[in-house]
Amino acid sequence: VCLLANDLLEAASPELNQRQETLLRVNCVQCHAVPGLGAPLIGDRAAWQRARERGEEALLRNVLVGVRGMPPMGYCSACTEADFRALIRFLADLPAQTRTRQ
Amino acid sequence: MSGYVVSRRDVLRAAATGALISTMATCKDGNPPLPGADGFVPGNTLPWTNWADTESCTPARRVALDAESDVLDVLARSPSPVRPVGSSHSFSGLVPTSGTLVATDLLTGVISTDPVTHQAEVWAGTRLHELGRLLAEAGQALCNQPDIDYPSIGGATATATHGTGLGFGCLSSYVTGLTLATPSGELIECDRQRRPEVFQAARVSLGALGLITRLKLQNEPALRLAEVTRVEPVEDVLDDLTSRFNSNRHFELLALPHTRLCVSVTTNEAKRTDVAHGFDDPHAVYKLRQVYRLVRWLPGIGDSTYESLLRAFMGDSASTVRVGPSFEVLAHHRIVRFREMEYTVPAEAGAACLRDILRAIRETPIPVVFPIEFRRVAADDIWLSPFQGRAGCAISIHQYGDTDYTPYFRAIEPIFWRYEGRPHWGKLHTLDAQRLAPLYPAWRDFQDVRSMLDPSGRMLNPHLRKILGA
Repeated sequence: VCLLANDLLEAASPELNQRQETLLRVNCVQCHAVPGLGAPLIGDRAAWQRARERGEEALLRNVLVGVRGMPPMGYCSACTEADFRALIRFLADLPAQTRTRQ
Repeated sequence: MSGYVVSRRDVLRAAATGALISTMATCKDGNPPLPGADGFVPGNTLPWTNWADTESCTPARRVALDAESDVLDVLARSPSPVRPVGSSHSFSGLVPTSGTLVATDLLTGVISTDPVTHQAEVWAGTRLHELGRLLAEAGQALCNQPDIDYPSIGGATATATHGTGLGFGCLSSYVTGLTLATPSGELIECDRQRRPEVFQAARVSLGALGLITRLKLQNEPALRLAEVTRVEPVEDVLDDLTSRFNSNRHFELLALPHTRLCVSVTTNEAKRTDVAHGFDDPHAVYKLRQVYRLVRWLPGIGDSTYESLLRAFMGDSASTVRVGPSFEVLAHHRIVRFREMEYTVPAEAGAACLRDILRAIRETPIPVVFPIEFRRVAADDIWLSPFQGRAGCAISIHQYGDTDYTPYFRAIEPIFWRYEGRPHWGKLHTLDAQRLAPLYPAWRDFQDVRSMLDPSGRMLNPHLRKILGA
């Protein structure tokens, strides 16, 4: 799992800055790189399809409030709004200026 | 909590042969939407909410500490109270602040390791899941760890978080030195020789003395473990507790309320012949609730029917075996949100205390099915450790995150008090300083160090003022 996450982190570098890569590694991969928990996995584009359709604003709200097994803020107290948005775009493979459906 | 079984004897799977499954499929899994950040407006200050959604705040300032060199400036110039946060896993009000929230996510990694002494110095924000992997790369492992690896090592040691095992203390007892930045402007390196009074206070200090940036840990050589999870009669296990704890590296039991059953979790160094089978179902506790809801309405036979279903479908032979590096086997994924109260009672009183709790649940009756966790932790000499001066049995009760936990916890907490229980600092309890002080012989020593390092109380939020009486 860690190797997978590291490989994906390398691939992610154009989208995430170093700080955000650390936040991803420390927080997001705990669930989004572990099969069987129900969380869509990093790199599994099909698993993120529904999330992509909901859009960045709805996903940001999910992250802040918590959804199903994910706690509020996804464990990340260091994340700024910009960090959350960058991580959401990376994980869900969303473009930077996605129009949203609330 | 460890090793909930439902795997191949999974109740749902077995029930798939009958009408049971159709009824159960209508039960709703998961937590309801949480209210914490509902009012957030993009561009405004981010709120903070803990894992269990029992605490929240909107701090005036948020700092993501990424260098030790910044910490004294943060402590000197930021609005009070200044509160550190790791993974936000504490259920109690240790973190909320209207002043400054200092996140430690970025203060992460291993600083150095010693292959001879098996010691390592690590940044306090390092999460246990990452620490396990990093230590393994250096040929080391934590001597013991809790059953979840989401917390940071700084948060876990600040609250005396622990695993289980006769020969193993809480995580804080493996801290051999630490670096503490204080509100009075000092960066103190302390251990048993240097500033020993600060060391004794700081190893379990709830973030009340300042910000701990580094920890030196006594580890052991990396090892592989095998964990065996079984369903057994709870009285058989309680009668055999001494043997179970004496003859196994780690042992714990999870009593299943409204039954005479428990899940036993036995963990030892792995042998070449150990083979993993089954799986650790992260949804198992929801399935227990689904089954209980299905039958509890049956007049006079709800509990017995529930137990019969569990016996029929969970069996009494080995259910799951997990084998791997210690940091993977000791940790379990927890995606079911819950609220938790834990008290540590003297080791010799553990079985009696658990029996009293189970009796209260049965006779009241309290409609709870979340397993009750029973672990053993070695004594230590840390001033505010629940294990100070006495080995303890840590007994944890839980309620689902979508259910009001207060009636259950209110009914059980007095049982812990009868056994001179000391509450887990990071979990829910109702004690204040007046009730806590008599439980800790070195209470006054801790208060003296706290007053010396933070005379104006910059680290104290309302919860800390209540429990420390400061």
